[in-house]
Amino acid sequence: MELIKIFVKAKCPKCPAAKEIGLELKREGLPVFHYDLDTIDGLAEASFHSILSTPSLIIEDEEEREVVSWRGMVPTIQEVRQYLFRSN
Amino acid sequence: MANVIEMKEERKDFKEEFETTDMALFVRTSEESMNDWNRQRIVDALIRETYIDVDTAKEIAREVEDLIVTSKIKMITAPLVRELVDTKLVERGLEQARKMHTRLGMPLYDVDQLILHPNKENANVPHGPEATNLTLAERIKKEYALLSVFSQETADAHIRGDIHLHDLGFVDRPYCSGQSLEYIKRFGLSLPNSIAMAKPAKHPEVLLAHMVKFAAALQSNFAGAIGWDAVNLFFAPYLVGMSDRDLEQLAQMMIFEFSQQAVARGGQAIFTDLNLYWEIPKHFENVPAIGPGGERTGKNYSDYMKESQRFAWALFNVFLEGDGSGRPFFFPKPLVHITEKFFQTPGHMDFLHHICEVASEKGNTYFVFDRGETAKISECCRLSFKLDQTDLEDAKEPWKMRYCALQNVTLNLPRMAYLAKGDDTRLFSKLTEFIEVAVKAHLEKKAFIEKLLSVGERGPLALLAMNRDGSPYLRMHRASFLIGMVGLNELVQVHTGQEMHQSRQTFKFGLKVIAHMKLLVDKLSERYGMHFVLEQTPAESTAYRFAKLDLRFHSPRSGHIVKGDISKGEVYYTNSTYLNNSAVLNPIERVRQEGLFHPLIEAGALTHIWLGEAKPSKESLANFVIKTFRQTQNDQIAFSPEFTTCNACNRTSRGLRSSCQYCGSQEVDGITRITGYFTKLSSWNKGKIGELRNRYRNQAYIEEAERGAALKVG
Repeated sequence: MELIKIFVKAKCPKCPAAKEIGLELKREGLPVFHYDLDTIDGLAEASFHSILSTPSLIIEDEEEREVVSWRGMVPTIQEVRQYLFRSN
Repeated sequence: MANVIEMKEERKDFKEEFETTDMALFVRTSEESMNDWNRQRIVDALIRETYIDVDTAKEIAREVEDLIVTSKIKMITAPLVRELVDTKLVERGLEQARKMHTRLGMPLYDVDQLILHPNKENANVPHGPEATNLTLAERIKKEYALLSVFSQETADAHIRGDIHLHDLGFVDRPYCSGQSLEYIKRFGLSLPNSIAMAKPAKHPEVLLAHMVKFAAALQSNFAGAIGWDAVNLFFAPYLVGMSDRDLEQLAQMMIFEFSQQAVARGGQAIFTDLNLYWEIPKHFENVPAIGPGGERTGKNYSDYMKESQRFAWALFNVFLEGDGSGRPFFFPKPLVHITEKFFQTPGHMDFLHHICEVASEKGNTYFVFDRGETAKISECCRLSFKLDQTDLEDAKEPWKMRYCALQNVTLNLPRMAYLAKGDDTRLFSKLTEFIEVAVKAHLEKKAFIEKLLSVGERGPLALLAMNRDGSPYLRMHRASFLIGMVGLNELVQVHTGQEMHQSRQTFKFGLKVIAHMKLLVDKLSERYGMHFVLEQTPAESTAYRFAKLDLRFHSPRSGHIVKGDISKGEVYYTNSTYLNNSAVLNPIERVRQEGLFHPLIEAGALTHIWLGEAKPSKESLANFVIKTFRQTQNDQIAFSPEFTTCNACNRTSRGLRSSCQYCGSQEVDGITRITGYFTKLSSWNKGKIGELRNRYRNQAYIEEAERGAALKVG
């Protein structure tokens, strides 16, 4: 199953919308991980994925290979679902 | 300078027959005059230099006198008298007074060794009388720094090897700087204490002369590198209508002037960086150009693209040719900025091939990647000053664009892992502790430099205090305070059992360590209102020093961790956040992986691609550079070939050899990059020699690329 990683920061105006998508997908039972770039783990994970702006969202396959990413922008939940649906 | 006390013959009865002033004991003071022995001098020195009371001082002086008289020594030195006084202070528990009364200097044996043998702490210092002077002065200033500038806590952390305070021998200067040619174009060469003032240059050759003189003056006021921003662009208004031949001549003069400045401070070539652009950088496009005589030309810099590009091209022609015996120039270092605009500027592919040819043939080119809206001035082995909005505002008056890093403090990362014993919480708390010590060191150095600057143009840092444009030359409010790191790879290895390139998990752990450092220095910057930034320390000797100290203090564990050959003493830690030098990795994959650290290391980072004997085509290197720009976060790359230069026939060949391939002589020297610059192997310290033996030279990947197989980003 795919992993959904969402990268946010405290003082980022568009981040609540990205978090909302994450919560929605989590309610649907999908594995969603939130990373806050103001924390050590969050910043390290963001660096690993070359995430330089927030909010960002990436979908990875089971072997942690990136399937798709939205960097510095918030996709619609339909767009995200489309990729989850497609790769399933 | 003689510091000898000689006692006359027949001294044995002195005590019975004479009082102090009658003693036939003569002191040859530092003024080289013979002075009669006078106990009162000890008292005077103690009162002047320490806070002890007169009675104690007198008591000590008498005790020391007794000791000298009864000792029957035929010749004693002034340092010995001082040491005897110090022992009396120690006996009384007057530790602070002893510290204040310390004599700084060196043992005779050490001076002898220094004069006879080269200093290998910095491969950019040749061996000679000037270099010896530099080293002697550095030794004393280093001791002074550790005793007087820094607190005991900071000094002890340095001596133990928890941290490394760089350039302690230059404690009374800032670390390194970024300059703008516009300053001398506008104000001429008017230096404090100078016997002549020169008006702004009217001819390009004169501007070059001013630049070289100013660089030498700056070298006397900074410990390290002097970087120059957009050199080809700022020269451009002087180059209108110049023939190709004259332009080439000027380029040659510039490079030879900076490469042959080994007549300056301590015989040390000025560590010079030339930042070059093919395009007109966005922030200079609409800036009014300054031309001959310091006058505005009526045009903007965007009108000088042709001259700017011609000059950049000519400079690389000279680099391609090399010096008189075909060797690469060690200095100046050309740093070409690769930006989005670079790729939109006509002729960029031809220029890219040109500079890649130089990279392959001689290795000189540094490729600096400014992605998005980033702009920076690069210098030193990798340091860069990222320009923020205020700087870009300053760009309208480019002579204001003067930057400096006040000091560099490097953390011994593996040391923390030994101390943490596998416990994450302890590891991160040690990291915090070490960073706090580094910050304390920065506060102490800042206070010291501010004290020197407060005397203004009559003080020791007159050049940095000079005010020609409404603010002092050194803009303290724009200064950076560097926090570097050595041995992230070994920290991870000690803590997790694997090196960073060996698994995704250990690589991520490395990122976590640097993320912690980044977040903490940001927080501390806010707290102190200072600009603390992470830098990849070049660690020419620090990687060696830390490894040696850890072998002493953290054996046997460290014996399994340090890299190099312990039996030969050629030990080192991997520099900064690099992956193991000997790891067999596709070079583009190394550039990508190492580049993941670079956005966290604001003050500059670099990946080396060791070429060995290989000489890839310019097309293949250009392809590599474009991939690095487009597909990675890497800040800067450099390709490093190796050479052998023959001291008998003066010819240079590719690769490191034990004899000359032309004349067979064994009088040869190897040349390659030590950290961020080229130099001869004979000047390298043992740690770097150990690293050189281990470097993976990418030969197989380069040959594969030459056969047409693309280098893939993994």
